[in-house]
Parts: sequence; C-alpha cells; structure tokens
Amino acid sequence: MRHLVLTGVAKAYGPTLALRGVSLDLRGGEVHALMGENGAGKSTLIRVLAGLERADAGEVTLDAAPLRLTGPEVATAAGFRFLHQEVQVVPGLSVAENMHLAHRIPQRWGLVDWGRMRAAAAAALTELGIAGIDPRVTMADLGPGDRMLARIAATLIADGGPEPWLYVLDEPTAALSHAEAERLFAVIGRLVGRGAGVLYVSHRMDEVMRLADRVTVLRDGVTASVLGRAAMDRDRIIRDMTGRDVDALFPPRAATVGRVLLEADGLAGGSLALRAGEVVGLAGLAGAGRNALLKTLIGALPRAGTVRLDGVAVPPGPTAAWAAGIAYVPRDRRAEGVMLGQGLGRTVSLPHLGVLARAGFLRHRAEARLVADSGAAVRLKARGPGQAVAELSGGNQQKVLFARALAGRPRILLLDEPTRGVDVGAKADIYALVRRMAQEGAAVAVASSDLAELIGLCDRIVLVRAGRPGRALTAEGLSEAALLAAIYDGEAA
Amino acid sequence: MGHALRSYGTLIGMAAVILFFWVMLPDTFMTARNWINLSQQMSMLIVVATVMTVVMAVGDFDLSVGAMASLAGVVAAVLFAQGHGIAVAVAAALAVGLLGGALNGALVSLLGILPFVATLATLTIFSGVAFLVSDGKTISGRAIPEAFAGFARGGIVLGGGERPLVLSWLAILAFLGVALVWLVLEQTSYGRRLYALGGNMEAARLAGIKVARLRLTAFLFTGVGAAVAGLMYAARVASANPTQGDGLMLTAIAAVFLGMTMTRGGQPRVLATLAGVVVLGVMDNGLTQLNVDSYVREVLVGAIILAAVSISAIGRRAVGMR
Repeated sequence: MRHLVLTGVAKAYGPTLALRGVSLDLRGGEVHALMGENGAGKSTLIRVLAGLERADAGEVTLDAAPLRLTGPEVATAAGFRFLHQEVQVVPGLSVAENMHLAHRIPQRWGLVDWGRMRAAAAAALTELGIAGIDPRVTMADLGPGDRMLARIAATLIADGGPEPWLYVLDEPTAALSHAEAERLFAVIGRLVGRGAGVLYVSHRMDEVMRLADRVTVLRDGVTASVLGRAAMDRDRIIRDMTGRDVDALFPPRAATVGRVLLEADGLAGGSLALRAGEVVGLAGLAGAGRNALLKTLIGALPRAGTVRLDGVAVPPGPTAAWAAGIAYVPRDRRAEGVMLGQGLGRTVSLPHLGVLARAGFLRHRAEARLVADSGAAVRLKARGPGQAVAELSGGNQQKVLFARALAGRPRILLLDEPTRGVDVGAKADIYALVRRMAQEGAAVAVASSDLAELIGLCDRIVLVRAGRPGRALTAEGLSEAALLAAIYDGEAA
Repeated sequence: MGHALRSYGTLIGMAAVILFFWVMLPDTFMTARNWINLSQQMSMLIVVATVMTVVMAVGDFDLSVGAMASLAGVVAAVLFAQGHGIAVAVAAALAVGLLGGALNGALVSLLGILPFVATLATLTIFSGVAFLVSDGKTISGRAIPEAFAGFARGGIVLGGGERPLVLSWLAILAFLGVALVWLVLEQTSYGRRLYALGGNMEAARLAGIKVARLRLTAFLFTGVGAAVAGLMYAARVASANPTQGDGLMLTAIAAVFLGMTMTRGGQPRVLATLAGVVVLGVMDNGLTQLNVDSYVREVLVGAIILAAVSISAIGRRAVGMR
C-alpha cells in the first residue's frame, strides 16, 4: 500500500505564515478529507504537494523514502493527480482528444490513430464504470460533472510512466448538481477500490461525513486534528476548524441602528432590508449566491423584484444604482474593479464623472480634489493619482476601490469579500472604514467567506442559500462554530 | 533603464530619424517649405489616425477606414458628376461615413462581433459599394467643381514672396481635427469613460458606465473621420476612384501603435498618435528625397515600426520584472 507522509511542513509568503507546521498522512485505498476555514492553509498545502510552491521547512516521504517536491513534474512522477472545481478542458476538442492532452497521442504512419485513441479513452471510462460519455463528442457538449469524470478517467490511460495513485480533489462538487455529485462519488469508490488514495478537500460537511475514512483539520496553518471514522463528528470538526480567538481587529459595533434605507424583494424568493448605521453580513457556503445577490442589488444582474431606496424604486442597471447612492466593491478587484494599466485616479473618479463635469467637460481640479480626499480617507499609500493601479499592493488596490465607493458619499455600501488577498494591516484599516461609514449613516452589506470577519465586523448576519437571503443571526456573542453550524443547517435542510 | 526605454525610446528614435535626414539633406529637409509640404501630404493620414485613436482607446479598432475614405470620395464625385453642388455632395459623403460608423459600432457593441471580424467584413462591403457607385472608374476632370479642388490647393499664405509658403487648408483641417479629438478624449467625461472601457470593460460596466452605447459611439468618429479624409483626398487629386483611400488604414493603425510606445501605460493618446504620424511621414519624405527605392522604403518603414514596438515591449517587461 502506498503511503505519503508530510511532517512539519511550513511555508511563508513574505511576513505571512501560510503553513506553520502541517502534518498529513495519506494511504492508498482511503478517502482522506482535508478541512479548514478559508486561510487555514489548504490551498497552500495543495500547491506544495503539486510542486507549485516549495516548502520552507518540513519533511515529505513517499513509501518511507524522502521525496523532494521541487516541481510539478516531481509530483506527477510520484503519481499525484490534481483536479480543481473548475476542470480545465479544451472545449472545442473531442472527449478522446481532451483525455489525451497529457499523453502521447496514438499514431500510425505518423498520423493520428483515431481508432486507437478512442478505444483507449473508452477503456479508461469503462474501467471506472462511467457510462454515457461518448469519446467522440465535443467536450463543450459535456456538463461539468462529466468533464470532471472524463478528466479523472484520463489519468488511467497508460503512458509508460508510474501509475497515478493519489488524487487530490479540490472542492470537486462546487459546480456540480446533486446527480453529478453522486456519479463522482461512485467513481471515487472505484478509484479507492483500485488501491488509490483520495485527498478530498471540501467545505461540505455532509459529503465529508459520508465519504471520508479519515479527516485532517487545518487551522491557522497547523494540523489541528486527525480524526478516524469513529471520532469523526460534525461538532468536533467545526470546533477544531474554528477554535481560535477573534483578533482585536474589529471596531466596536453600532450603538443604535436607524430606519430602513434599502429594501429589496424578489431575491430568489427572499427579501433583504438594510438599515442606516447597520453592517449586515451575508454568510453562506461557496456557490450559495452571495456574490449574485450583491450584483443584483447594484443592478449588474437582472432583477426579479424591486430595489427601493428610501421607499423609491431604483431603476435597473448599475448607472442608476450608483446615481441613487449605492456603491459597490466587487469581489474580483482585478477583473471587475480597477483599470490596472491606468492611473489610480481614473478608477476612483469613474462612477462620479457626471458630477465632476460641467457641460461634459471635466473639472480637473475638482477631480484631483475628490481623488486626493477619498484616497486620504482610506489611508491609501500611493505616489499620486497617476500611479498605475498595477503597481500597488493588493491591500492598496482594494483601498482604491474603497476610495471610489466613498467618494460619492454613498447611502448604501455593498462589499463583496472586502478583505480578500489583503494583509492584516490593511484589513484593520478597512474594518475601521466600514464601521465609520455606517456611523455616518450608511447601510452596509458585506458578503464574506471569512466567518471571523463576519462575526467581528457585522451587527447582523443573514444566511444566504441558493441566492436567497434567509434566517438572520445577531453577530454579537456568536461563535464561529455556531455560525458554521447554522450555515450547514441551512445546507442540510 | 527599462523605464527610460519605455517612455522615451520612440521620442529618441524620432529625434534620431529627423537628425539623420537633417544631416543627409542639409539643404532641403529642415526647411519651412519641406515641413509645410509634409503637413499637407500627411493631413489625410492625421485625420484617420486621430479618429483611429478614439476606437483604440476603447480597446477596439476599425479596419474599414480606408475603404470608407474611398467610398466617401466616390460618393461625392458621383454627385458632382450628376450636377449637384458642393454642399450636397459633401453632406452626402459625411452621412455615408456616419452610417458606416454606426453599422460598425452596432456590429461590435450590440451584436458582440469581434471588431477585427466586423470591420473586415464592412471593409469589403464599403469597398464593393464604392466600385458599384463609381462603376469601377476614376471620376475626374470637369465633373469635379473648381472650388472643391481649389480648397486643397489654397491655404494661409505665410510669406515667401515669389514662391509663397502656403499652409494648406487640408493641414489646417487636420490640425483642427486633432484639436477636437484631443478635447473630447482628454477634457470630457465622455472621453474618460471611453478610456475606462479600454482599461477594463467589465469594471466599467459595474461602475455604472453604459458600455454598449459608448462603445458604439466611438465608431461614429472613425466613420465620419474616414469620410472627411476621403473628401480631402478627392479634393487634393481633383478626382476620385474606388481604391484611393485604401492605403490609409494600415498606416493609421501603425501610427497609433507608434504613438502608444511613447505614452505612459501604453495608452493610445491623440498627441502621441500625431507624433507617430510625423515619424512615418518624415521617414517617407526623407527617404524619397534620398532617392531610396519605394520598395526598400516600405521595408525600412516596417522595420522602424517593429523596432519601436519591440523596444517598448522589452522596456515594459523589464519594468514588470522589478
């Protein structure tokens, strides 16, 4: 039986310790779950296993022999295979061709031997008991579940190299339907039956409880516990995932909360109200629709219902939303927020150009003042408004978006993962800023997958599931374990 | 080092090119007369490159400008031949430009066709229509009103006595076009929004910019600008044929790219585009005066463009690697 052991693995990114001492023990023939909160070190650990990052310290042995994971080719030669939630495929090629991307393509007389290629693909699919995938069809015609199954089967195509034996599945069911997930679980069973090991990385408690033989729980870059089936229990896992002190990062909560500013209905059948002076958290598992909910409020996604600000309906579209005093900080700041190659001032003033122009002509002085004032208000560190956004750190890029949001003195502030990829110092600045905006009378909604952040920053936390805002919890005194349990209860229901 | 190359590489190259011709052609190159001639020769290219800067600021481009210039010239000439006056012919040609631009804009921004594909198709269409309208012939001679052709020969007399130095109306028109587009792109909120689209279209949408509408309007500039250039061309040669504007497109795009190598962040900017046109115009003018064979000239001009863009790319990479 194959046996991979990691001991005391550490990895730092600059001053941030992503892994401080992780141990992991993986055997062939088992499903081993890896759990932990966002930021606990799961992704870094996977990158180390894949040879994409080199650990700073620690030992790795494979079958009792030392293994130096110096690059992706080492991981491949060691028999590791990695599958992410978004399976990388070439949509325009056939399934058989996709399955041969990492293999030598069968040839005859220097030409592609299509028959042999299809036969190899079909044999691999059959070996895992996967029915209903024709190797001749185009990959684009397959659903996400079948794409993943085809990718897994592709690893079985013999290519003369060492046999794969360890499958690392990272949130594999995030994009799958229930039926697709069931097919995946059957395939996982086949893999394990062949003697392979599966490292199953997931937030989904019910899947872990059902599939895993053992679970390793990470917390703050350390292995918090390793539990066998007998000791595996939901509350125990949650406690091990969250048992840390909430930092003193967070400003005090609102003393009083004002009247309702924003009311939205038709949100996947639910509704949401935001009050002046209040910070409302949106909690839910990955894919629960928090992001879509905020995009609906800013008007970037079509609405089923109405959004009212002070009782007045906000017309559809982001233009009307910004004009009405709703500001939005998107989740993916590089793709959805900033103009990376241009001076930061241009990103800050963009939604406010209407008020900065007279008869269509820009008032450059007024613009410069707006950028300087709002930059100072968020404690932006930059050389000046002309400095390209691309040259700023992640935290300062995020502050550019906050400067943009508050430059218009918004009534409503919508924040999607406001501290993603931001260092601790900038985090504290952002929390203080959010609270100050609320104190000045704005209503704030924060979507976050960081439970400590939700509890520390918010007054009220709304559970979101399938895009629908549901039960609300008071953040004060709430433990991470209780919040996580509430999120899972929603999922189980 | 990388930064200096990126920011000043093309400017230094431009100075070197001018210096080279100044030394090689001491009597004729650095004279007022030569530069005034040059300004007239370059005027059509200046107009087309200027409007091309607008669509490229949005991150698109327009391959149909040359064909549109030909079409507009032919439309005006055909109307002249039918006995219509200058006002009618010019208005019709400009209207054709506006319509063509609207068509390009609608294809790209409303239907979502890649600008390369959409404007390649309209290039073919405009060119075909120009042949249809003109019957494939050159329209010249008495059909073209004296006043129309005279406009291209006239201008403001700057002195010179017996052989007067005349800054032509064509050059003045071109510089007015540059000034107008500079105002629009650099001084208005509309222009700022156009650059935002080019910087990050999704971010612009989420920031409340009406992306589709704005993207469409940029193509109105290239449509009308190309038509203006076509009319200028027809006036200058006192004739029109269905291919005479075709060469403008590639040179205009080259000029914008050359200009982009001079600006911070590699953005298309109007004044930088003007500098790009000057580099290309000076190369052509100087090499012609040196009696360099026209085929060799093309090779040299292409090599200069590649050199400028390569140096800029290398400079950018060096900066990126810090």
